[in-house]
Amino acid sequence: MSLDDDIAAWAATVRLPDAEAAAIFQRIAGTPVPFPPFSPRLDPSWWRHFTADFTARMVASTRPVRQAA
Amino acid sequence: MDREAEFRRLYEANRAAVHAYFTGRTGDPQSAADLMQDVFLRAWQHLEKLTDMPEDRQRAWIFTVARNLSVDAHRHRHTQAGAEQALAYEPVRPSQPASTAVIAAERVAVVGAAIRGLPEPQRVALTMAAAGGVTSAEIAAALGVPAGTVRYRLSLARRAVAEALDRYDDLTEK
Repeated sequence: MSLDDDIAAWAATVRLPDAEAAAIFQRIAGTPVPFPPFSPRLDPSWWRHFTADFTARMVASTRPVRQAA
Repeated sequence: MDREAEFRRLYEANRAAVHAYFTGRTGDPQSAADLMQDVFLRAWQHLEKLTDMPEDRQRAWIFTVARNLSVDAHRHRHTQAGAEQALAYEPVRPSQPASTAVIAAERVAVVGAAIRGLPEPQRVALTMAAAGGVTSAEIAAALGVPAGTVRYRLSLARRAVAEALDRYDDLTEK
């Protein structure tokens, strides 16, 4: 008997039996899945709209006021 | 793919390696099964994060959890481990009427005693290779050590087991 055979024979005695592995799988898969934490998000287009609006206001505010004749 | 099927794939791909890792660390397959369950329970709870990762990173994540769990478990079992270590050095005495089955069982006991007596890094490497069916490169990736280090540990561990078997053979021949 080779050393590999001896070690393989020992390994077979400590390996998790398939039935026990299947039982563990079932126990885990039967636990409720935690809900992901709720995080309110802005619409992704928010920044684009805000920037466009802000730029328009800035440009309008720096325009010289037309003097009355 | 549904959640349970995805988890099954992850579980089947890694369970043997994780169980072997804990068997190597604790010296007890039953404690290893409990610890393995804790690791995969965390994987189940974080499955969405894991499914976005490539397979090698999934295994790295699993073994990071395993290493952290194992340390905690070892702290609690420190006294028990000491007793097991002491028992591990008790030599196995061959029985007189030696049928083939008895000899095979005794050789398994000799190998088990020799492995339990190894330093932990060697014990973990050999158990993962033998019972977990993982290569030295995979062990290295899982433990975060160079592959050469794992090969060296395996070589030392195999030599120690071979010496224990030689001693046993010498006793049975007398």
